[in-house]
Amino acid sequence: MEYVSPEGLRLDGRRPTEMRQLRAEVGVVAKADGSASFEMGNTKVIAAVYGPREVQNKGQQMNDQALVRCEYSMANFSTGDRMRKPKGDRRSTEISLVIRQTMEACILTHLMPRSQIDIFVQVLQADGGTRSACINAATLALADAGIPMRDLVTSCSSGYLNSTPLLDLNYIEDSAGGPDVTVGILPKLDKVTLLQMDAKLPIDIFENVMQLAIEGCKAVANYIREILLENTKQLEFRRGV
Amino acid sequence: MVGLSLGEKNFIKGGIAQDIRTDGRKRLTYRPIFVETGVIPQASGSARVKMGATDVIASVKAELGKPNASHPDKGKVSIYVDCSPTAEPTFEGRGGEELSMELSTALQRCLLGGKSGAGAGINLSSLSIVEGKVCWDIYIDGLVVSSDGNLLDALGAAIKAALSNTAVPKVQVAANASLDEQPEVDVSDEEFLQFDTTGVPVIITLTKVGKHYIVDATAEEESQMSSAVSISVNRQGRICGLTKRGGAGLDPSIILDMISVAKHVSEQLINKLDSEIAAAEACEEE
Repeated sequence: MEYVSPEGLRLDGRRPTEMRQLRAEVGVVAKADGSASFEMGNTKVIAAVYGPREVQNKGQQMNDQALVRCEYSMANFSTGDRMRKPKGDRRSTEISLVIRQTMEACILTHLMPRSQIDIFVQVLQADGGTRSACINAATLALADAGIPMRDLVTSCSSGYLNSTPLLDLNYIEDSAGGPDVTVGILPKLDKVTLLQMDAKLPIDIFENVMQLAIEGCKAVANYIREILLENTKQLEFRRGV
Repeated sequence: MVGLSLGEKNFIKGGIAQDIRTDGRKRLTYRPIFVETGVIPQASGSARVKMGATDVIASVKAELGKPNASHPDKGKVSIYVDCSPTAEPTFEGRGGEELSMELSTALQRCLLGGKSGAGAGINLSSLSIVEGKVCWDIYIDGLVVSSDGNLLDALGAAIKAALSNTAVPKVQVAANASLDEQPEVDVSDEEFLQFDTTGVPVIITLTKVGKHYIVDATAEEESQMSSAVSISVNRQGRICGLTKRGGAGLDPSIILDMISVAKHVSEQLINKLDSEIAAAEACEEE
């Protein structure tokens, strides 16, 4: 099947190095300490952060840092065929672990010992790149909750089909059987904090594909910064500053 | 939820007794309702309803299936509600299961009628394609994104809006199918039938706090309730279902009074919902 036409257009009309449209909103769940919704094309996720608060399970309490927990769940209607079991399956558990480790690395947990930070991510619509959308949403939610972090964490995926590196795969491109590289970076510190790939790629091409994903991450970071700046201006305005 | 102090509890109860609630509403006033339709493009129909800080999403998916042997001329509808942990940290893992089951059963009771399918808000016979062999399976999925009380009403409203947004594809049945073969059905990609939602009821939950009942309770007010009765009323003013929750016993005359109050409130709610849904559909078309 042709994923990149001879003119260089993908199935949804994008260029190979073009990201899908990003849309983000902060403060969507009123009861949470911090929350955000993030959309990458048709993939829509909501993240809510509760914390720092008292540890619920005293056995897990750590005396020198905060406990970070994360749960990833997909809505029944998020995928094309209706899912029977929204959570608890192996893929959800793995993604929960990945998001937790990524966010834990950038939260300054030593500033909040003996406390717990819960990150809940809910996928409303899945069209490829859910992992990345979840990490981006979690970053925004943590910023909204005022939790101190080393840097933003942004994530983007890329792949390689029809001998072309492609940025930000959607579901059809993801299921094509080609490689799928997901990268998460700390943009200001310029460090890679998450790197996952499936299928196989020659090493020299892998460098190009990873670099493309990193560029995508930086574009997401710029967008997130704009959103946070806009949000702060709104907060100032409401305070009458 | 953070616990309430004695002073706050008294403030809530006192306010309700004097017809001025904590947010300034009267006892029988709903919070502002926002409806958005078509939020899930890959579903047959969907809607998102916000009542104050309560935020729920309902999606309707229609799939071809085989009817029940006991009701060969009726389609099937199943309702399932999921409570997302984003609404409450306690919904993590299996914590939200109990509430999900309670909400799912209450909605089924209100919208689907009895075991024989009689009196259902949704006309099940209209979902049958070939009697005994092929019918539409409607899966209604609700998701609670943010919870600030009155989940049942919000879910009922979301399901009503999602159903009015649902377009079921037209089906052509191959005429030359023999009696025991599975007939071929051709699902049209272009022609759609809009769902008929005039019979779908709305759910009104009346929460009793002290001696008075309130409509559309917030989570704080619900924590002070003695009992709650959820009544589903349709456009003709007929009661389609009733559920009582909460430990305190209620005098039968009070329940009859609550039912008449619910019928009175339902007229305003149905009108409000219809206008919001129409506005949302018009917005979506633009």
